Order: sequence, then C-alpha cells, then structure tokens
Amino acid sequence: MTELQAGQGAQPLKVPRIDARPQRYRDVLIALAAFVLLALLPMVFGSKQLLDFVIRCAAYGLFATSLNLLVGYTGLISFGHGMFFGLGAYGFGLMMQKTGVPIPVAFVATLAMTFVVAVVIGAICVRLKEIYFAFVTLAFQMLVHSTILSWQSLTGGDQGLRGGIPRPPFLGIDLSNHLHLYITSCALLVIGLFLMRQIAQSPFGYTLRMIRDNATRASFIGIDVWRAKLTIFVLAALFAAAGGIIMALFVSGAYPEFAYWTISGEGIFINMLGGVTTFLGPMVGTVLLLILNDTVTRLTEYHGIVLGIVILFFAIGLRKGLMDFVVEWYGHRRGEGRG
Amino acid sequence: MLEVEKVNAAGGLAGRQIEMVIRDSKGQPQEAARIARELVNTDGCEMLLDGEASSGSFAVHEVARDLGVLCIHTCSEASSLTADPKQHIPNAFRCVRQGIHDSIVGAGYAAGIAKAKSLKKWATCSPDYAYGRDTTGEFVLYLKKFAPDVEIISESWPKLFQPDYTEVVTKILQAKPQALYSCLWGGDLTSYIDQANIYAMFNQMEVFAVNMADYTALTVVKNLPKGIHSGDRYIKTFPPTPENAAWGDAYRAKYNEYPTNWSWQNATAVMFLNEAVKKVNSTDGKKVAEALTGLTIKCPFGADGTVTMRADDHTLVGYAIGWGTTIPQEPYVPDVKAGDWKTIFELEAEWKKSKGYT
Repeated sequence: MTELQAGQGAQPLKVPRIDARPQRYRDVLIALAAFVLLALLPMVFGSKQLLDFVIRCAAYGLFATSLNLLVGYTGLISFGHGMFFGLGAYGFGLMMQKTGVPIPVAFVATLAMTFVVAVVIGAICVRLKEIYFAFVTLAFQMLVHSTILSWQSLTGGDQGLRGGIPRPPFLGIDLSNHLHLYITSCALLVIGLFLMRQIAQSPFGYTLRMIRDNATRASFIGIDVWRAKLTIFVLAALFAAAGGIIMALFVSGAYPEFAYWTISGEGIFINMLGGVTTFLGPMVGTVLLLILNDTVTRLTEYHGIVLGIVILFFAIGLRKGLMDFVVEWYGHRRGEGRG
Repeated sequence: MLEVEKVNAAGGLAGRQIEMVIRDSKGQPQEAARIARELVNTDGCEMLLDGEASSGSFAVHEVARDLGVLCIHTCSEASSLTADPKQHIPNAFRCVRQGIHDSIVGAGYAAGIAKAKSLKKWATCSPDYAYGRDTTGEFVLYLKKFAPDVEIISESWPKLFQPDYTEVVTKILQAKPQALYSCLWGGDLTSYIDQANIYAMFNQMEVFAVNMADYTALTVVKNLPKGIHSGDRYIKTFPPTPENAAWGDAYRAKYNEYPTNWSWQNATAVMFLNEAVKKVNSTDGKKVAEALTGLTIKCPFGADGTVTMRADDHTLVGYAIGWGTTIPQEPYVPDVKAGDWKTIFELEAEWKKSKGYT
C-alpha cells in the first residue's frame, strides 16, 4: 500500500458526512461541463475520425473505469472482466436483431441480463482471493467465450452477429446517424462515470477501500465482506456491459473477440497506463492507449513491440500509472511550496 | 500491387492514379471496423479492398453498409458472407473462392477415387472453428452423395494454431481409416504434415487436404509426401494457360516468392475494378458497383479464361477450381483435374435452399 492510498483511506474519518453534498454538486457540475464540452466538439472540429475516437473512448473508458472499481478500489484483480463487455455487446445485438424492441428497452434488458449472470458468476468468484480470484474469473471468461463460439445458431459462432444491428429511431434519436450516436455515447460515458464516481465516494466506496487494505479488520467491525465484494462485482459488470453496448452500436455487430481474454488484458493495461489510485486514471489510460494504438498501427506493423516497450516504461520506469505519477508529483510540489 | 502498378502505368482508373493506403487490423474486428471507417472518413479512400478473415470481414461489411462505400472482400471464404441474403448490400462484393465450391468439387473428385480404390472408411481432421466445421461438413455431405458407401469412422478437431498434433495423428492411426480428409491450412497444415510424417501416416492412407496446393504450404513442408490429394489454391500450372504461367512468373520476379491464393484473389479484384471503371468511365462508387454486378472479365485465373461477379449474390464464380495429387518438387501438382461449374451451380443452389438462403 502506498502512502497515497493510506491517505485516501483515512479521508472519511476527517471529512464529516455533511460535506458530501457540496462535493456531489461539484461532480454534477463537472459532469455537465464535460458533456457540454464533448457535445460542442463536433461543431469545432468536423473530423469524423475524432468522433469515432470519442465513441471508442466511451466504450473502453466505461469498461476500464468499472474494472478499476474492482482492481483499484476493492483489490479484486479480475482477469475476466471482458466477459461482461462481450455479454453487453451480444445481449444488446441479439435483442435488437431478434425481438425488434425499442433501443432503451434493449439497453435495460441487456443490463438486467448482465445483472443475473454477474450475480451467479460473482457469487462463486468473490469467495476466492488474489490469484485464485483472478484465475476463476479468467476461467469464466473463457467459458463465456467458448459458449459464444459454439452456440452457432444463436451467436453466429466465430463469424459474430451477422446482418448488422437494427437501430430504429427513438425519442427523436437516430443511432444510425453518426452525430446522434456520438452524442448518445458521450451521454452514456458521462452518466456512467458520474455514477461510478458516486459509488467510489460513497460510504460503500470507502468500505471497499477498507476491504482492499484489510479484509479481516473490515469483517471484524461487522462488514459483510462477501456481500460488499459481490455488490461491486455486479455493479462493475453493469458498467462494463454498457461499454459493450456502445461498442456493438459502433461496429454494428458483436464478435467473439469482445468476450476474449485479450479485452480483459487491455482493461488491465489501460489501468496500468492511467493509474489505479485516482478515479480518472483509467479514463486517461483509455485515451492514451487508443492514441498509442491508432498512431502506432498507422506507422508500423510491429505495433506489439512498441506497445510492449510502453508497458515496460510504465511498469519499470514510472512504477505507476500516469495519473498516479502526476498526482504524486503535484502533491510533492504543493508540499514543497508550503515548506 | 502488381495489378495496381499495371493499371496506373496504363493511365489509372478513369484517368486517376490509384493510391494504396494499407492498414493492419491485428485480426480484431473492432479494429477492422475502426480502420475501415478511418480509411473512408479521414484518408478519403473511395474503394475498400478487405483482406480480413472471418469475423473481421463481417465487421468491414457492416462499415460498407453504414457508409455506402464500394467494398470488395478478398480473403474471407465463409460462404455466408454473400450467400446469406441478410448480408446483401448493393456496394459490397466478394472476389474470393468459397468453401462450398471447394467442397463440391473436392467431394466429386474424392468420390471418384473412393470408388476406384474402394475407400470406405474415412476420417476427418479439421480446425475447430466455423470454416473448418462448415467446410468439412459440406465435403462429407457431398462425398456421401457421390459415394454412398463411405463411412466416417473418426473425427478430429484440433484447435486453430495448435502446435502439437501428436494426439490427433495417433488417434487417426488407431482408427485405421483408408482415407483422411483435412481442411487444415497454412502453418497448421505444414506442422501437421511434418508431425504426421514421423508416423509415416501418408503411406497408410489416402490423404485429401484441400488447402495443400498453395505455394505457402508446398514450399514450407520439409518432406512433402508424394500423392496427397489437394484442391488448387494457387498453382501457376493451373489453369494450364500461358497467361497464368506468365502472371505467376511476373509475380515471382517482382517479389522473389511464389504467389498465394490471396495474391490471385486480390489481383482479380483490381482487374474487376479496372474493367468496371472502364465500362462506366467514372470512379463513382455507385456507378462502379452497378457495373461490377454481373460483370464478366477476361482473367488468367478463370476456368475458361474468364471470371464473373455473379449478379444475384455479388460473389466470384467461374474461377479455376480443381483437384490433383502432389509431388515433392515443382510443379508440385502436375495434373489438376478441373471441377465442373455446371455441377457446382446446381449443388450450390440446392445447398442455399437447404440453408434457407433462397
């Protein structure tokens, strides 16, 4: 545990609960400002590539930030978080293709389905600790991936959901229109981040930090550790599924690769890049990874080597994510200024 | 690229030089979709040549549906990409051989040998994914149709890119089949053959490996056994025409390696584009797509010197397709027996009906 983490963990003791409300208003304001800024972006820059980039950031950002609720806040290193990303994409795609319900209904139904699956899988996984937890989540991910591959009549096997995802307009929003899809993705991202921020800053969020730092002590003061872990596992799964839905809308399909372990690996990588001790670390990591990916694949076919070197730089050089580094550096500077 | 240079040297497409913008999707469908969108939206590409396999090609197909850009698939052999009417869009075409065509021709050829040599007990060994399972299923279906005595006594489904085939090889040897069918391809096929050679498998049964006769496989196998039956992927001696031989030599002279199955498919795609643009004297995607529909062009890889982009499902037909047996040195497959397109069309139509596509 770093000093920074210890500092964070101690915060609720110093901050009286009455102060939580202004902070929530501040978060609402920041969220609104971020949304307005993102919504204005297409008017300033006409580039469709930029819009595509932000849509992908929304999908991966929700996924990576939800993974950080497990990794950074609760100390549950999940190697199988990608299965919920895939479930979201497939659940939504299938619902739209087979039933033709309105998009919001399919959205909610997909989250409901993810909820059920996550409760079942989570109930088994969160009993385990550390490496065992990591591997059982990975095993479930491979199970989901294999099911998608072999259930050809429903999922289309390794060719994915074919024929495109129908996107009928609802409430004046037409998701087959690029701009509408962009605005909707931004809205989902901002709402998702806002909700996750509220979870992280709530007493429940601090309970999670306590479990991360010392589960036995948490248990001794009367916290039901298993229930708290299961709750955050399920909540994180829902946000990951929302990310998967955005991705399914973006590519107008769902492919088994969305539920493969490499997606979970990318999630972990994003967290390493951006840092796990700040809330926005994974979002910064997402932007970094996507910029890296997009530029590196443009310039060389040896993208694997370049990305590997970047990981090494962060893991061995900085020994922390970018946001961790920035926050620490800023803290030092402030400390020096005062001194 | 060989063909692109030819077109450019002859004045380009309707007077415009072709500029190739090449991107790598790392085999991920979401990357394929992103890159395809970027190529059209940012790089200003007006035509897409999609060299994606399996799921990637479906992802690019959806981008073509969304953006309306002219797209030619040049790699995916999955029949559903064009046979399934849900997939049909006016601006996308497939310039690729197909699993169903290979299965029909292969089964006809294999049934002839099965009857002549009285091969009744068969085994199969194919990669465990959609292409492997579909192609093997179709081959067995038609083999039994042409030679009803045939019985499948063993099936093996090694994983894609599996490094060790010992268990598969020993399982097949224990079953003692008289013949083996496999649609393993590329590196999987070559490692399989190298490992099966240790057990002298190829002396004990007739082997039908549809993807053997491609230079990428033929030249890599250490000891290519004599007498493996294979479909033609790309062989410069089939079709046995001077045009095909000249094209194969020109390719080798330029790149210092033999062309592959993908080489002729991409070359044919560029030939199609060139002819379609000439026909409408425009590079407008919609006009070119209309011209491509049902277009027949002269082509070194055609069974009768021409190939056609079939109008009703936008897919390539009439390409040279046949089976022969291998020898360990050039020309590797000296005598290829050509398949009959009339039979292919008949059985393909039946197959489409059985799948609910028509």
